[in-house]
Amino acid sequence: MKMSFPNPDDILNFTLTIEPDEGMYKGGVFNFSFAVNQNFPHDPPKVKCTQKIYHPNIDLEGNVCLNILREDWKPVLNLNAVIVGMQFLFLEPNASDPLNKDAAEDLRATRDTFKKNVRNSMAGGSVRGISFERVLR
Amino acid sequence: MKVTIKEWNAVATWHWDIPEDEVCGICRVQFDGTCPTCKFPGDDCALVQGRCNHAFHMHCLMTWIDLETSKGLCPMCRQKFEWKDKE
Repeated sequence: MKMSFPNPDDILNFTLTIEPDEGMYKGGVFNFSFAVNQNFPHDPPKVKCTQKIYHPNIDLEGNVCLNILREDWKPVLNLNAVIVGMQFLFLEPNASDPLNKDAAEDLRATRDTFKKNVRNSMAGGSVRGISFERVLR
Repeated sequence: MKVTIKEWNAVATWHWDIPEDEVCGICRVQFDGTCPTCKFPGDDCALVQGRCNHAFHMHCLMTWIDLETSKGLCPMCRQKFEWKDKE
């Protein structure tokens, strides 16, 4: 996991890179843009995945479905809590609260097919006719 | 030996009646310090404690409670935030 600051003078906007070391998404390199606004910590950071990936809780535009990024945000949380939550999404994709309904359906129906789809999408292949970005290390 | 006091200077310190090393969970500044919008600690930047016993700088908590998304809940334990009456 790594943070990088495209503009070093602007500490409120940065990129987070997650490289899961176990689970179905192992071997992938995933980038997220973080935008922390002036009202932080009363407003949550805005987080988007900058790649097109196949994940039940991340849609094709990169929006992330994580409770503490929206309805369950509270100002005693910090970036650490968000980052841990995102790592957890890669470890344990959650089919019951999906943003990518196709991926969630695959995960619910057959875990093995879903796993294959994940590997395939991470290699830059297509799943259900949608092509994904290559994210392998 | 006789000592005559010619002059003396009194010095006092204060701190809130709350464990000294604790910080406000919202701004993470010590309770004896100020919230991010205040300059002077003490009565100008008071603390507030809920019935759930969680304490914050009052300004930090009010900014949160005024947001619709807070639903009036304590940021720590998500119980309804009610001011604790002094016993």
